[in-house]
Amino acid sequence: MSSKGLPPGDGRRGFLEKGLIGGALLAAAGAGLLATEKTRRQAGAGGPYTVLDADEASIVLAIANRLVPPREGFPTPGSVEVPRKVDAIIGMMEAPTQKELRQLVALFESALAGLLFDGAPRTFTASTPEQQDARLLAWRDSRIAVRRTGFKALKGLCCAAYYSSPETYGAVGYPGPPELTAPIEQSSDESRQ
Amino acid sequence: MIFDQAALANIKTGRDLASDVVEAPDVCIVGSGAGGSVLAFRLAQMGKRVVVLEDGGFYTARDFTMQEATAFPHLYQEHGNRATADMSITILQGRALGGSTVVNWTTCFRTPGDVLQHWADRHGVKGLTPQALDPHWSAIEERLGIEQQPADEVNPNNAVLRDGGAKLGIKTDLIRRNVRGCMNSGYCGMGCPVNAKQSMLITFIPDAARLGAKFYANARAVKIDFEGRRAAAVHAVVSDPDTDRPNGRAITVKPKLLVLSGGAINTPALLLRSGMNPNGRVGKRTFLHPVIAGGAVFAEPVEGFYGAPQSISSHHFARRAGKVGFFLETAPIHPMLASIAGGGMGKDHQAMMAQLGHLNSLIALSIDGFLPEDDEGGEVTIRGDGRIRVDYEIRPPIWEALREGAKAMARIQLAAGAKQAFSFHSDPVLMQSEGEVAKLDRAPWEKLRVAVFTAHQMGGCAMGGDPETSVVDSTLKHHHLDNLFVVDGSAFPTSLGVNPQLSVYGLSHWAAGHVAAAV
Repeated sequence: MSSKGLPPGDGRRGFLEKGLIGGALLAAAGAGLLATEKTRRQAGAGGPYTVLDADEASIVLAIANRLVPPREGFPTPGSVEVPRKVDAIIGMMEAPTQKELRQLVALFESALAGLLFDGAPRTFTASTPEQQDARLLAWRDSRIAVRRTGFKALKGLCCAAYYSSPETYGAVGYPGPPELTAPIEQSSDESRQ
Repeated sequence: MIFDQAALANIKTGRDLASDVVEAPDVCIVGSGAGGSVLAFRLAQMGKRVVVLEDGGFYTARDFTMQEATAFPHLYQEHGNRATADMSITILQGRALGGSTVVNWTTCFRTPGDVLQHWADRHGVKGLTPQALDPHWSAIEERLGIEQQPADEVNPNNAVLRDGGAKLGIKTDLIRRNVRGCMNSGYCGMGCPVNAKQSMLITFIPDAARLGAKFYANARAVKIDFEGRRAAAVHAVVSDPDTDRPNGRAITVKPKLLVLSGGAINTPALLLRSGMNPNGRVGKRTFLHPVIAGGAVFAEPVEGFYGAPQSISSHHFARRAGKVGFFLETAPIHPMLASIAGGGMGKDHQAMMAQLGHLNSLIALSIDGFLPEDDEGGEVTIRGDGRIRVDYEIRPPIWEALREGAKAMARIQLAAGAKQAFSFHSDPVLMQSEGEVAKLDRAPWEKLRVAVFTAHQMGGCAMGGDPETSVVDSTLKHHHLDNLFVVDGSAFPTSLGVNPQLSVYGLSHWAAGHVAAAV
């Protein structure tokens, strides 16, 4: 269960575990201060979006592409519009939560954060699939709880967007909702429309 | 007809308000779930003028499309994204006219007698006995058609618990459910598409509305004004039903008496936001029945997405001397929730998903609130930016219960013929024989390394005999206010050890007399 990334040195761990990641580092990522390399735009990440920008949408799609790697019968995350659906989910959240999630996406992408955390000085989108999997695992299995929180948030958004899409039901052997023919004792509730 | 013109005339949504509204009823109830709806009906029956404010929307069976993509954003708190602040516990809690009763899995238990006795002995609660509650539970059971699920209508997902338990000598029972004419479609959690579930939406809400109780959906109570020992007014912002964003309208209610029935997270949050916390106990002792799931793969199809979600339960492990108890039930298996809960990365996660139709899922619900510490449980607070914050650190005795629950589930699944049992750790523990169940002892039982859920929120405005350590008294009246009651699961001093809906209905039915007398 140990982290697949480099174990942080004592000094660095102390710095990170004092909770600074939750504030200063997230804020720095959100402000683009850690963006030492540009995000590689992903094919299929087309908008328009209500909350995310094009870079953030590309990062989300790149994450989804590793959470749901190519497999026969599984539509690609791009083909079921995972970035647009994640954007819609985030769009329903309260403004401060939206901001935190955008900061998280930027931090996850950041080459500098990759270097500091895991000794991997490259953006997520510019990494090879193997490097991307290593970064996802490093976040998932980190000793730092807030990184595990970050992984859970990103995975939850991507999985919700992908697996709630009816186009993916066939891949998982889900026939979808049944046809229900029983009369629904409804009402005159047309009148409320 | 469920929603005839007489009922609909008293159910308004954010779309119906052309201007701001001011109401001055006898009683204002915040929240239309299990607590608020029963109370609204009872008070209307007694001739009281009632106004109910509901944050969620007014949806009916025609809106319940059995799709996770729409059900969770529309019918759950925070659009399906509620969780503890560190996201270590996913919080499933309904948000709609009818509250969580619109999306719960229809499981009904009366409050266990030993839990009520514990409340009396430990928390100074007076008068809440099985005998006192019996006529109230009976009335609810009759109105909601609460009956045991027929033994021949147990789906394969639940049969795993029954059959595996039988082989191991673990006692299980058929569950009682609040349904009439159930088609066992399996979509209780997304709103019943055929009006079989006897939720508040189709029972006490139209009943109350026909008697003159007024319901405002899309109306979020945001602040209470206090004058001395009285709640003077409650302010609500109104949202557009289509966008779920404030539309500029406001509702002000100046009631003789105010009842908070927003559930165990939103009720303490409203009090805190309104600055009403004289003894510091509001939002404390929040209980969640922290839940761990156990998965299994079967050679034959299980199709856990279909059939009554819960029909079998086991309280075999609910009373463990000196340890935290747990009870066992099942969870329906739909793709989105399964994918969020399931561990494994990339290909492994995908391989689990590809077997969805052959998966079984059991759940172990830990019974929190009975440890000796006074500060047990979680806490609801308000962030600086106004958002609700829920914190819950799982204590070692609860982790122990979750671990033992996971082991019990794996044994049951393997006894029932599973090819493989697996845990919901980030790195799942895989077990193909009884001998491998011990691997769970070596797994990391630590937050954010294993999926933990709650669908049962309780406490935060505990009732009790001592005004210094509890929020409301044994009649559910606020200790420090003359005209404010809390009638929902937040009044429970501990968790229940059973699914809470019938406890909340019964408590509300019982409390109506106290509330009416105080108007």
